[in-house]
Amino acid sequence: MMSKHITVGKVTKYVVLILLFLFLACPLLWQISLAFKGPKDDMYAVPPYFWPRDPTVDNFSGVFKRLPIVGYALNTLVVAAINILGNVVSGTTAGYAIALLKFKGKRIVIGILFLSMLIPGETVMITQFLIIRSLNLQNNLIGVALPGIVSAMNILLFVNAFRAIPRDLIEAAEMDGASVWQRFTMICAPQVKGTMALVAIFSFMGSWNDFLWPLIVLTDDSHYTLTLGMSRLQGTFVSDPRLVAAGTVIALVPILIFFFVFQRYIFHGLEVGGVKE
Amino acid sequence: MNKTIKTALSLLCSAAAVVSFGGCGGSASSGSGTTELKFQTWNLKNDKFTGYFQDLIKQFEKENKGVHIKWVDQPADNYEDKLSTDAAANSLPDVIDMGPEAAYTLAGAGALLNIAKEEPKAKDQYLDAAWQSATFKGPHLEEGTYGLPWYLNTGPTLYNKALLNECGLDSNNVPKTQDEMFANAEIFGPKCGGKYAMTTGLPSIQDFGMYGVPLMNKDHTKFTFNDPKGVAFVQHYVDMYKAKAFTDEMLNTSNSGESKSFNSGSQVFLNGSLYSIDDMKKNAPKVYEHMGITSMVANTHPNMMMEMITVNANSKNKDMALKLAKFVTNSKNQLAFDKKANVFPSSKGTIDDPFFNPSGDDMNAVGMRMVAKQVREGRIWGPPQFTAVDGTRLQEQIAQALQGKVTPKQALDNVVEYANGRLK
Amino acid sequence: MAQLSHRQRKGAGSASARRLNPDGTYVHPLGANRSGVIAPWFFVTIPILWILIFSLLPFLNTIRLSFTDSTLLRPGKFIGFQNFVDMFHDPHFITAMTNSSLYVVCVVPFMIILPLILAALVADRTRIMGFFRTSFYIPVIMSSVVVGLIWTNLLDSKGLVNGMFRALHWITKPIPFLTDRWLLLFSAMTITIWTGLGYYMIIYLTTIANIDPVLYEAAQIDGAGAVRQFIHVTLPGCTWTMILISLLSSMSAFRVFGEIYMLTNGSGGVGGADITMTMLIKNEGTGINARTGYAGALGLVMFFVLGALILFEWFLESRSSDDE
Repeated sequence: MMSKHITVGKVTKYVVLILLFLFLACPLLWQISLAFKGPKDDMYAVPPYFWPRDPTVDNFSGVFKRLPIVGYALNTLVVAAINILGNVVSGTTAGYAIALLKFKGKRIVIGILFLSMLIPGETVMITQFLIIRSLNLQNNLIGVALPGIVSAMNILLFVNAFRAIPRDLIEAAEMDGASVWQRFTMICAPQVKGTMALVAIFSFMGSWNDFLWPLIVLTDDSHYTLTLGMSRLQGTFVSDPRLVAAGTVIALVPILIFFFVFQRYIFHGLEVGGVKE
Repeated sequence: MNKTIKTALSLLCSAAAVVSFGGCGGSASSGSGTTELKFQTWNLKNDKFTGYFQDLIKQFEKENKGVHIKWVDQPADNYEDKLSTDAAANSLPDVIDMGPEAAYTLAGAGALLNIAKEEPKAKDQYLDAAWQSATFKGPHLEEGTYGLPWYLNTGPTLYNKALLNECGLDSNNVPKTQDEMFANAEIFGPKCGGKYAMTTGLPSIQDFGMYGVPLMNKDHTKFTFNDPKGVAFVQHYVDMYKAKAFTDEMLNTSNSGESKSFNSGSQVFLNGSLYSIDDMKKNAPKVYEHMGITSMVANTHPNMMMEMITVNANSKNKDMALKLAKFVTNSKNQLAFDKKANVFPSSKGTIDDPFFNPSGDDMNAVGMRMVAKQVREGRIWGPPQFTAVDGTRLQEQIAQALQGKVTPKQALDNVVEYANGRLK
Repeated sequence: MAQLSHRQRKGAGSASARRLNPDGTYVHPLGANRSGVIAPWFFVTIPILWILIFSLLPFLNTIRLSFTDSTLLRPGKFIGFQNFVDMFHDPHFITAMTNSSLYVVCVVPFMIILPLILAALVADRTRIMGFFRTSFYIPVIMSSVVVGLIWTNLLDSKGLVNGMFRALHWITKPIPFLTDRWLLLFSAMTITIWTGLGYYMIIYLTTIANIDPVLYEAAQIDGAGAVRQFIHVTLPGCTWTMILISLLSSMSAFRVFGEIYMLTNGSGGVGGADITMTMLIKNEGTGINARTGYAGALGLVMFFVLGALILFEWFLESRSSDDE
């Protein structure tokens, strides 16, 4: 009786999931189909068709032939690594203090976080560039990464996570005489691994997809990030929608892999900390 | 910048100087003996053009010992943002490829070299129409020529013969003027209105120019396209819209560039370019089969676009930078570039090269001869003072006129008032 | 219910009167006294300095500019409140305010609820759920150009949706998804929700992953099905995350830009009827002819409106969670 009930529920669940999958993942499938279409495929056929009639992998090799993809990807990785490290470290430390420690001026700190989230980025970009330039970091990957390595939103995500840690745990550690720092590194930080994974995903995605800021900071294309480099596929006097599609598919793969790997850590929160009752 | 920020910056600077590499402020200066020039193009570094520019640079470096050129290229999107932040931070390259609109603004900010002043003789080497368009006057700048004309582009009007026949239009007598186009729309409407579209969409400022509407006053201090002729022009579009000669979706687009709607065979006319013919053959073979080609539909002179090579007014090596700009835009180098890109020369006489007068009846040859003729007669209609934001305003107001929310006169008055306000 | 929320209570502190700081953060009865004065600052100083330098300080400059008539390349002069006066004569400003506010009202409720349901569906540690999670995240990472292209193809008057409806004889005239002022706004909202599903889903997942499994087991023993487990365990466990997401999603909804930009070829709708605040700021404040003064003033107004919005939501939510 019970198991049968679950089966029906499970079937419904999977039907819903598959429908959602189609709804959410369709654009990517379309992009993939475009990337495999060959020179004999009509790009503007009415009605459009999904399966390539002249399938080919030339578009992919074409992208690799035209662009130093690996170099661009490495540049992006440098920016992403700085970004992830910065955001995870600043998020855990600040999030910990705000959520679990009491101190004077905490309200000011929270106020600053919120104020910074309200600022329309479009109005400050040029001043940010002037700062980067005065640090002599223009045309430098560090300059691309720098302004983004602390983000109020990520700090708030960590605040939210630290707040969910069972009190008993911290109290017990305190009774044992653990210092603030020990409580942070031994007890609390391991509890928010899930949020670390989340923030890592957000930071990685942000640095992978950002276009305007790296464009403004960087000048030489040897420093280009992948998104900037990919725009080379859309030349002024030459453009092939198939190549562009192949390029976007190539650029998506690392994020998808990164996401797939890291989303599993979201579930490594509690039991690693050993709280499971 | 205010004091707080300055103080903070200098603090930051000293902090950064410790941790990072080198000091603050001034950019890296070149080593002794060699002159380094930074040359920036816009979206031209790809397997089609890279070789051309490498050879060009090698040649220039050979002719000018001790000069080292650093070539940078910027992606297509957000080029104006890149230029403007660089200008604001005083970090523009020495020699820069840009269009007249950007050049006008940068010249107004004192960022570009007035070439007419430095090198008055340069004028004789370029087509008058091109030189005129590189010559600016306006409220914020000294009248002058702030860049050398580089390549020109204009294109034929492409049309879909199958659709022409289906919609009762004469494919042997396609419209040559905008007035004829409006007349055709009246025939098109009852037969095909709503099913297909006649053209790409709303008119841009260049279309006003081609129609013969006076765009600016003599001193270039005011826009004037809200005169009766301009109003009549918009009224024609209102009539076309009523006849369903274009779809509602086209109220969101301006009449330029490529068109998905034409490529998928549901639009009759398109302002194309020569290089788009080849794209069409490859990407939209069905439409290509029925495609016809004619010269640009215009009441007066056909429209051209121009790219310029400008020189940074604050360059440390102005003379050499100017020399490079002249070198890039000289007749020989222009010709070589035009051949590669299927665009057209702005230097005098270059258009007479046999390359632009091919024999044969295939579409590329016919198109080439047609467009080469257009280059001789063409004008660069878009006033450099008319910014992208003004263009958006124009499009919005015309869309509202088509929907009957404002009269054509009101619509144009609104745009002129807005654009004049920004001109000050 | 009583035994289900046992950890929740524990998590939220036992002395209900001292449960929250006025700023809504948790006060730990013991930790508070022991953490000292210097240690907390050791944790927050660098992040806060960073935010001061890279966003608040630049914004001060923006505020200064908003009282001048400067453009990007010309410093301009002090003109008092003229920019703010001009704003109220700018027909776009009123339109943009209306559209942006409407966006918040319509989108935020969906953003709080739907991703939570989605997260609950895929919150399993199995590989297959990992696959679904990854695929639900796809809309978030797709480039906006591609997303725009796909959706315009769907919603165009000759697009897939209209084609389908026509084939089913539901309609005779195409529905103007992309040209009617309100329909366009709703189409854009659909895209926002479509993208937001994956984005907020993973935020919820981190919270759900931390809910004590014991609670679910207890609920199962009580005979609660999936729906009741969701209502009695998942939902209360996510209260704070819901508040956080309502704040985050209101801010991004008010700042909507990309969706409308893609659907209208950057024109902001027929006759500019669908322009939003961020679009207006971008139009005026970026590019080579940027009117940095006016754009700064717009930015400042948006700053205050958003601030008021957040305070209002905060007030509503902290009141309702106190009522619990």
